Amino acid sequence: MMKLYIYKTTCISPQQTFGENIDIETLRPSVDNKLYAIEPAYPQFKGNALRRMSKSTRIGSGAALPLLADAVQPNGIIIGTQVSGMEENGKFLNQIIEYNEDMLTPGSFVQGTPNTISSQIALISNNKNYNLTHVHRGLAFENAVIDAAMLLNENPDSRYLLGGVDEISFNNYTLDTLAGWFKKEDCLNSDMYRSTTDGSLSGEAAAMFMVGNDKQNAIAQLKAITTIHSADVDVIKARIKRFIEENLAEGEQPDLLLTGENGDKRSLPFYTSCDSLFDKHTTIARFKHMCGEYPTASSFALWLACNFVSGVLTMPQHMIKRKGEASSFKNILIYNTHKVGQHSCMLVRLPK
Amino acid sequence: METTELKEKLKVQIIQFLNLTDLTPADIKDDEPLFGDGLGLDSIDSLELIVLLKREYGINIQDPKEGRKVLVDVNTMATYIEQNGQK
Amino acid sequence: MDRIVVTGIGVISAIGHSVAENHAALVLGKTGIIKGGGNFPSRYSGLLPFGEVLTGTEELKEKLGVTEPGVTRTSLLALHAFNEAIADARLTPNQLTATDTALVGATTVGGMCLTDELYANTHGDTEHIEYVKSYDYASVNLHIQTRYGITGVVNTLNTACSSSANAIMYGCRLIKNGLANRVIVGGADSLAKFTVNGFNALRILSDEACAPFDQNRKGLNLGEGAAFLVLEKQADAAGKKIYAVVSGYGNANDAYHPSSLSPEGDGPYLAMKYALDNACLSPTAIDFINAHGTGTENNDEVESRAMLCLFDTLPDFASTKGFTGHTLGAASAIEAVYSVLNIDRQELYPNLNFNVPITDIGLEPVLLNRAATITHVMSNSFGFGGNCTSLIFSKA
Repeated sequence: MMKLYIYKTTCISPQQTFGENIDIETLRPSVDNKLYAIEPAYPQFKGNALRRMSKSTRIGSGAALPLLADAVQPNGIIIGTQVSGMEENGKFLNQIIEYNEDMLTPGSFVQGTPNTISSQIALISNNKNYNLTHVHRGLAFENAVIDAAMLLNENPDSRYLLGGVDEISFNNYTLDTLAGWFKKEDCLNSDMYRSTTDGSLSGEAAAMFMVGNDKQNAIAQLKAITTIHSADVDVIKARIKRFIEENLAEGEQPDLLLTGENGDKRSLPFYTSCDSLFDKHTTIARFKHMCGEYPTASSFALWLACNFVSGVLTMPQHMIKRKGEASSFKNILIYNTHKVGQHSCMLVRLPK
Repeated sequence: METTELKEKLKVQIIQFLNLTDLTPADIKDDEPLFGDGLGLDSIDSLELIVLLKREYGINIQDPKEGRKVLVDVNTMATYIEQNGQK
Repeated sequence: MDRIVVTGIGVISAIGHSVAENHAALVLGKTGIIKGGGNFPSRYSGLLPFGEVLTGTEELKEKLGVTEPGVTRTSLLALHAFNEAIADARLTPNQLTATDTALVGATTVGGMCLTDELYANTHGDTEHIEYVKSYDYASVNLHIQTRYGITGVVNTLNTACSSSANAIMYGCRLIKNGLANRVIVGGADSLAKFTVNGFNALRILSDEACAPFDQNRKGLNLGEGAAFLVLEKQADAAGKKIYAVVSGYGNANDAYHPSSLSPEGDGPYLAMKYALDNACLSPTAIDFINAHGTGTENNDEVESRAMLCLFDTLPDFASTKGFTGHTLGAASAIEAVYSVLNIDRQELYPNLNFNVPITDIGLEPVLLNRAATITHVMSNSFGFGGNCTSLIFSKA
């Protein structure tokens, strides 16, 4: 049985989710079909250090720092990402062709590898412990969560830094648009759920979590997680139903269903089908108009869920798809998909 | 090109090439060590500066260790360029 | 807790398209590193030595019966080794599709071997879009998953040169934590302009065959390949050949610099120590170390010092990268297969191209193939970003 509690969580995203004045009531708009992260100042990184960091490394490290402020080092750093460092990779790939493989500058090669985030966090905090980077596309963050859960089972009384990070890059945006995953026509994030076309809007963010297996001082518990690979709506519906039956009391429904509905008409059937599993008790809300679509977007949802379940934040109106009767969110089901084929469920609740 | 002019041009290029956005050319003294105490550049920077010398001045330094002897400060870089530059 | 055993292995590299071919070359001391093998179009093809798999991409597709579009060379190499491993372990189609069968693979290149296509697609070519969905790392494992209908946990890792060591470690932990009953673990990488030019820009490629642990070493040679291992609980392996036990693993970070190891070698030292602790073994139990030994100035010196720090008496050690080149995301998996062969055949394979020990360190690796009594083998991998992982394999 999984025992994973979250003590602290931070998020740098396209909304006002970081620092002293968190405000998710006001929805910041997308620009050019993209939701770029609002980057804070990074006073802790001296100028020389910042120049070596890709955007993913900046927002990943920046989001991690407040969680590392405690005296005790985490026993490991586990990051899920797919497209971090792609902007740097793109620069290096361009050099290869444009200079015909002549003498090239190595900086963007080194800065573009996906394990740079977890390594940089280790470097700045002098952490020589377990360090791993999961890159399995839309399940990269979920695999990182499972890794952390296994570590907690193997090493009780430990703490781990867990995160999901991805960035918008010219290369990734261009390729995914060519492949049909981002909308070709103009679309604002506030309109995306009404869209009837293929594709979504591009986003980026870093969400970090300090996790352990001791419920004291925890703000939330991640009770269960499952990953599914299928393109069959009925298979997914049955799996979600089973997930709920296995992890909630008989007949109990989640107070909140938080879904990764993203304005892409091809994934809408999965979300509609999932919505239909729950009755008037359950509030249904969506989050990708806030952060955009990216492989580790479920980490943004987890940040939201931790804040809702612990009462730190109130759900803004713009997230609500269907208001339910539950008076508070004691348990939250997150259901997310990425492209077509990768699905995950996470059940978040008050620590027990 | 006059040596002073070359040194000023070099400082601009170093800042741009290495993305030293915190600095202006006036912040870099001619005899300030590029590595260690001074500008505090590292091994990746030294490889990047070797590429700068090739792309901007046509100088081909094959061995990074030889490169470190040239890349001591702006003075040594300018002298080397004047002696070996192709452009 | 039941022991985790290796019941199947598969490998493709510059020294062969199967375990048998690789083994034959290891025994003979026959390298696969050459200049100009013909399958890797790059400015450096005839100039620098590489460990090329001497089969073209189209031929690989044909042999593997791959007809669908968008399958990269990296995926083809992975599929080839995967096929050998699952056949060797005699996994049935039902077992492959069972929800308790997991696939954990690693790659550092993925679809980025298609540098020219990637450039074209990001600079206006909207017509030739065969590979737009395959450029990422996960495309390799997703292809295998789709082909075989795998329904258990599927994961892709990338920690640079230690990637597939972490895949092996992760697979073991999935079994130990009850999330799988059998796992197919490994890694793949193909030669790519992306990595060739990246390592060349760092000036750590040698223009000669690499010479791990030699005083006059000039750098590494890049290679390509893939390897997979099937891991099962010993209780489930009755009637099967058991090659070895995976008895320990350790993961640590050097936390020093993005692309070089610290002089003290904390990352390598700790990874090895954690692996020994995990296996409940003392350093004296290790009979042989398959070293990371890339042939770079930095790695070989730091690795030597870390080994000397941990082992009062250093056991026999060797790097096999003189045979295959450094295969990056596949390296640890290929070397795991070689470590398993050390145990299965009770023999050691040489460290090629060694002449003079590193000054002030004085270590000499194994130089000739020979029979040996091997109970425990340690296999080490130290990557960019300070990601260090050590594995221990033992006689069953």
